[in-house]
Amino acid sequence: MDSVHDLGGKQGFGPIDVNEPDEPFHAEWEGRAWGITCSTRAPNVPIDWWRFVRENSVPTDYLSRPYFDSWIETDMITMIEAGVCTIDELATGKSATEPLASAKPMTTEECVNLTKSAFRRFDVEVSSSPTFSVGDAVVANLTATSGHTRLPAYVRGKPGIIHSHHGAHFFPDDCAKGKERAEHLYTVAFASKDLWPEASESPDMVYLDLWESYLGER
Amino acid sequence: MPSFDGKKAAELHRHLHSHLPSDPALRVKALESLLVEKGLTTSETIDSWVEAYSDEIGPKRGAKIVARAWVDDGFRDRLLANATEAITEFGFEGRATAHLKAVANTVDTHNLIVCTLCSCYPFSILGVAPNWYKTAAYRSRAVRDPRGVLAEFGVDIAPDTKVNVWDSTAELRYMVVPERPKGTDGWTEEELAAIVTRNSMIGTERDLGTGGDS
Repeated sequence: MDSVHDLGGKQGFGPIDVNEPDEPFHAEWEGRAWGITCSTRAPNVPIDWWRFVRENSVPTDYLSRPYFDSWIETDMITMIEAGVCTIDELATGKSATEPLASAKPMTTEECVNLTKSAFRRFDVEVSSSPTFSVGDAVVANLTATSGHTRLPAYVRGKPGIIHSHHGAHFFPDDCAKGKERAEHLYTVAFASKDLWPEASESPDMVYLDLWESYLGER
Repeated sequence: MPSFDGKKAAELHRHLHSHLPSDPALRVKALESLLVEKGLTTSETIDSWVEAYSDEIGPKRGAKIVARAWVDDGFRDRLLANATEAITEFGFEGRATAHLKAVANTVDTHNLIVCTLCSCYPFSILGVAPNWYKTAAYRSRAVRDPRGVLAEFGVDIAPDTKVNVWDSTAELRYMVVPERPKGTDGWTEEELAAIVTRNSMIGTERDLGTGGDS
């Protein structure tokens, strides 16, 4: 989807707040938002659909709202779709239903352990062989789906080299539609000089992790 | 069930935009009240998550990994070959580190991590990402003007030093292994871990201080 979320290489964004305090949360509501998103997720929400919901934010909100805020709005939409709550309930903070569950308080230790058990692999066995080998010259597709995709605009149509192969991983473009399918995944090396007109003398490289159907032979 | 319909998601975003208070603190407060009333979480649980990511799960974990890589060549090799496996030696595996890749700085190479499409980050070893990592300014510029970004962080990269930018577009997550600073011979692993900063593991810091003149 060609929305404002696809930020790589976009120009005009200002200086970075390099003096931000080290603490993870800078306001109480940020910590609460983090705790909510860690403890309450709508069921059966693939990560790729969640990301696509966020990409469909009101564009000006996407660019201007704090990240935790945007994250929470995405959680709200997945909860509305799961029938957990309504917009009216979210607006008032008051439930219009009987309790849906009886969650027990968790300790910090339980949260730490849950973070450990949240380990989840995204690679799966597939019967097909990888089309590309390390060192192959490839070119990223010039176009991408209007749905969710992880092929950023800034490399489309650009030449790269296969840097490494990671087996097959779940393919986000399909998983965001509820169709679980896997494709071979590669890290592809792009020379900065091939990406940006002002980098013609640059020795720098940009590496992206791209699925097989995002790439063609060159 | 998810609708898997982007237009519907966009419509819901617009409804929330117009029906909810504009202050994020008020929106989050209402959400917490609602979810607690529905029995889906508790305020104590939310406190515990804040606590877990304020102290135990954070860059101190990454720093321990880097310090061991500095003192133990065998671990360094294992980390660079398969970081997912290597960090189990600390029990740090977990959220967003099932496909972890460690990239090491050298005299003539510097590594920088970004996620241009969202804000992917290796939570279980670095904790919550700093806000700047999630801003449009960092995400847009890190791939196009990494040296300009680094200069803002006070890092000057020599013209013949190569910058490798890693854009986390899939479920791989990255961490930078900074170089061990001079003047730290004989330091213990704990002493070394104490000088490894979060930014050095993202790549927005290069030369670590040793607590003396820096």
